[in-house]
Amino acid sequence: MTDLPIDRRTLFGLAAAFGVASPYAAVRRAAAQSGRKGTLIIALDISDTTTLDPARVAQYSSPMTVHACYDSLITMEPGEYINVKPAVATEWGLTPDGKSMRFKIRQGIRFASGAPLTAEDVKFSLERIIHLKDQSQQYIAHVDRVEVIDPQTVDVVMNDPSQPLLTILAAPGFGITEKKVVEAHGGKGIPGAKDTDTATRWLDQNSAGSGPFRLVGWERNQQIQLARNPHHWAGEPGYQRIVIRHMSESAAQLLALRRGDVDVAFNLIPEQIATLGDSPDITVMRALSLDYLYMAVSEDAQNPALAKKAARQAIGYAIDYDGIIHSFVAGQAKRPASFLPIGVNGSTEEIAKQVGFRQDLDRARSLLKEAGLPDGFSFDLSFANAAIFGVSYQLIAQKLQADLARVGIKANLAPMDQVGMRTQFIQGKLQSCLTYWNPPAVENQLWASATVNRVAQRVHWTPPAEIKKLVDDASAERDLAKAAAMWTEYQRQMVDAAHLIILIQPVYQVGVRKTVQDMHLTAAGWMAEYAKARPA
Amino acid sequence: MIQYLAGRLLITIVMALLATLVVFLVANTVPGDPVLAFLGDVAASNPAFVADFRAKWGLDLPLWDRYWIFLTGLFHGDLGQSIASQRAVMDDIVEYAPATVELSTIAFILSLMVGVPLGIAAAVWRDRLVDHVARVVSLIGVSAPTFWLAFIVLAVFYGQLGWAPGPGRIPSFAFPPDRVTGLMLVDTALAGDWELFHEAAAHLVLPAIVLASATLGLITRTTRAAMLDTLGRDYIRMARAKGLSRYVVIVTHAFSNAVIPVITLAGLAYGNLLTGAVMTETVFAWPGLGRYTFRAAVALDVPAIMAITLLVAIVYLVVNLLVDLSYALLDPRATRR
Amino acid sequence: MSDASAVSSVPAAAPAVVIRRKGFARRYALAVAGAGILVFWMLAAVLAPLITPYPPDAVDLPNRLLPISTEHWFGTDALGRDVFTRVIFGARISLVVGFAVVMIAATIGTILGACAAFAGRWVEEALMRLTDLVLAFPPIILAMAIAAAMGIGVVNTAIAMLIVWWPKFARLSRSLVLVERSRDYVDAARASGFGPAYILFRQILPNTLGPMMVLITLDLGYAILAFAGLSFLGLGVVPPTAEWGAMVAEGRELVEQWWVATFPGFAILTVVMGFNFLGDGVRDWLDPYARSS
Repeated sequence: MTDLPIDRRTLFGLAAAFGVASPYAAVRRAAAQSGRKGTLIIALDISDTTTLDPARVAQYSSPMTVHACYDSLITMEPGEYINVKPAVATEWGLTPDGKSMRFKIRQGIRFASGAPLTAEDVKFSLERIIHLKDQSQQYIAHVDRVEVIDPQTVDVVMNDPSQPLLTILAAPGFGITEKKVVEAHGGKGIPGAKDTDTATRWLDQNSAGSGPFRLVGWERNQQIQLARNPHHWAGEPGYQRIVIRHMSESAAQLLALRRGDVDVAFNLIPEQIATLGDSPDITVMRALSLDYLYMAVSEDAQNPALAKKAARQAIGYAIDYDGIIHSFVAGQAKRPASFLPIGVNGSTEEIAKQVGFRQDLDRARSLLKEAGLPDGFSFDLSFANAAIFGVSYQLIAQKLQADLARVGIKANLAPMDQVGMRTQFIQGKLQSCLTYWNPPAVENQLWASATVNRVAQRVHWTPPAEIKKLVDDASAERDLAKAAAMWTEYQRQMVDAAHLIILIQPVYQVGVRKTVQDMHLTAAGWMAEYAKARPA
Repeated sequence: MIQYLAGRLLITIVMALLATLVVFLVANTVPGDPVLAFLGDVAASNPAFVADFRAKWGLDLPLWDRYWIFLTGLFHGDLGQSIASQRAVMDDIVEYAPATVELSTIAFILSLMVGVPLGIAAAVWRDRLVDHVARVVSLIGVSAPTFWLAFIVLAVFYGQLGWAPGPGRIPSFAFPPDRVTGLMLVDTALAGDWELFHEAAAHLVLPAIVLASATLGLITRTTRAAMLDTLGRDYIRMARAKGLSRYVVIVTHAFSNAVIPVITLAGLAYGNLLTGAVMTETVFAWPGLGRYTFRAAVALDVPAIMAITLLVAIVYLVVNLLVDLSYALLDPRATRR
Repeated sequence: MSDASAVSSVPAAAPAVVIRRKGFARRYALAVAGAGILVFWMLAAVLAPLITPYPPDAVDLPNRLLPISTEHWFGTDALGRDVFTRVIFGARISLVVGFAVVMIAATIGTILGACAAFAGRWVEEALMRLTDLVLAFPPIILAMAIAAAMGIGVVNTAIAMLIVWWPKFARLSRSLVLVERSRDYVDAARASGFGPAYILFRQILPNTLGPMMVLITLDLGYAILAFAGLSFLGLGVVPPTAEWGAMVAEGRELVEQWWVATFPGFAILTVVMGFNFLGDGVRDWLDPYARSS
């Protein structure tokens, strides 16, 4: 809780003696007033949350809370991932010298503390990220500094304006924090903050933002408590309280949802979703995600067969993709052609059908002959002992093994612990593996450049200069239609190289009780929007 | 005797430290790198960032330096920083230990309250129905895999019948009481929140039953065995011949002598409950040390793993020491010449 | 991993009076039942391909998660494989690993414990402290570390179990040999000039076999339970091998499709109970004056 020189027990004793409320008292009073109806209870696995300091957030479950507490300059609306939308900023544009992006700040935004949001807060928030040099900083490495032009205008000064900025700024990690409050708790937005900033501890338990809710408490691996921010610029949220309960077992989430102990369950698996179809109290909300599960195939010296492009392509044509999607996620998924999920610029279902792999056993067999391996070959398929999006890698691996066996390719399954697998994959030691990708921000350049740089290294592929140039050109191209054509060509070349075979781009399926209205799912990284949600 | 005690205590500490050394060495031969697992994809592929992170966590130091830091830290009560949770391991343990202690203690009391009378009854009415029922019940408890039993119990008693509340220590909607001891029953009582006290007690029932099932079996069998042992002795027949009622004989004479091996077993069982409830805690979403241990092992969080090993080793060795002492006092055959 | 340790049997006390025994059948009904269960599983393991209607690895996605029916007595799992077939085949791994681990651990442990008890003094003390160290180690951490270091697989998991399993045999062996060591026949043998090795292995150890057999029989069940637990956690077998613990793990989220997790777990329960019943019966039989169970 608070970072005080005396311990909590003494504090409570003193507080009780002096009649001062304990940290939970205010919220308890509010809770008593709002009751069960005014509280939205969410079941989510938050075991990977290690911090709620927006400048340091880099996990899967924390962005949801951070987005509820902080607003960013830009946002993305659910379902629309190509065009960004205003949030804290109402207008933006490149400055005449082409080096900076100028943002006009909305009038009338108040932080949860009541203070107005000004350009100083924007400058502080972004520069704190730059100087903390934590993981988020890498995405704005091309930003030098932020200049305050007037209380409602800032310039984000870049040293490389061709790099994407707007889509990055939509991520919750770039939410605007209240300078005065954060500095009062040890926050620093100046060079050297990496070693001098001490605000994280406080920010893990409290928020200093302008979002619809504010953070009241976080008990690691147990729950996160949010309370309504009455000053929110887009209107008061419908719920007075949000409680995010940690539940790592999806069976537990299902049972709790059915009993009404929770209102929303995020981690249900497809088999459980199927049983909710006829429930009178529960609906299933769906939204196509931008995550995917894929297979990486390497071409290193360990396995000469895999070095042959035709052999890898044969793998791509032997897999029963539709069977996988139909059986393991009850058809609730799509499959992009390559490393750009369907829904972003240049990646649609039609393009995927034209350009991507599909099951064609004859073609697989002829490719094997072409590779000089008419009787097939064998290779190792590694995967972690884990499940993602409710599907276990183990099941997919066994299905792939069965599929590939039909054309004579023998996949030797090699389950591993998660840490070991990730390590070996990053170090390029695996012949092939199953893993997943979820984006830190909705920006094509992030996906594409990863494939031709660090991911290419992992699979021992030297991309031709042509494809690298294509990625650079498409990233810098401001005309969306032109860029879409380039991205399509990029995907065609990726499929030809046959190193990354995408298997499932799942549809998020969330169980929601009918007492909850106007909650919206999003694939942009923070899972759901709660600003407008209200009890029925 | 004092010398023997002091000697054993010293050995206990040395052994516990040895255990951590073994864990440390084994964990460092594993090819996985917990740092890489913790960082996002971009950061993990950036050698400068990774090196920086490793330096921050002291992972760039040579093996022996790191172990020495751990040892010296122990003297300050500093068990190191957990890589997975990003805070002091001691904080983690203080947070999660009470949940396990509470669950284990309740399970232990439950198994005693049911097991001991059942064992006595089985011995007194030997080979009759009670005996057979006790035998089957205790055998099922001991033979059923915990992970399976937990699944069945939760699905039936919570999912289907709704008799018991769901996973977790308190209901999802409820506010936890101000934390004084970390034991939910104690804290809710201290706060005067009796409704929550009842909820917490209700939430303890299912996991305690699952956890108690194996211990129940052992306690029943041992009690029965010990009772049968004493019931056949001469002094019992003497007591009956003197005209004492059956009830008095059983309770005062027979049981008081039979209780000794039961106590030794119970001690071992309690130590075991404290240190090994991984399956139960996972299925019932119980935020205790068992689940923490498993997560630490999965994440290759070496500081946390070492701290857990130390804790488990100490608990086990101390319990064993106490049991050995009582055994040595009571059964001269087992001590050396 | 089982949440309880297997404690060695309480040594039977010298009887004051012989109790007249009831009939064999009534006395040993449970033990015979246990033996029957085990014979069933052993036969099932050996005859698996003959008595099962489907191949255990046949992935058949359109038929996944079917409930119990006449075509699939135990339903199908998440990949469409017949659960009944996989339960029968699962017996193979469980029984083999259980036997191997317990027999090897018992051999190593017995010899070490007996030698230590016979040698006495610091050798014995060192062994006791070594067993303490091994038993104090959290087994899950050891198993996961070994799996991470050497890879997941049946052999590696069995090795991890072996490391943790031998101490209890050493301790029992030691305490039994200690009791025997003070008996007259040992003095007599020594006086007659027999060497210590002969005395230990040809005279003392055979007398300790009784309680050892009881522990071994009971432990076979617990080893199977432990291995299933480790497979449940993802160690143990490599897919698609059928193994009971791994099957329960595959079904643990499938509350509505309960058959996937229930039947393999039930199989574990019956096997372990079988060994327990049998072990109890062996204990009763070996001790003719038994009042202990």
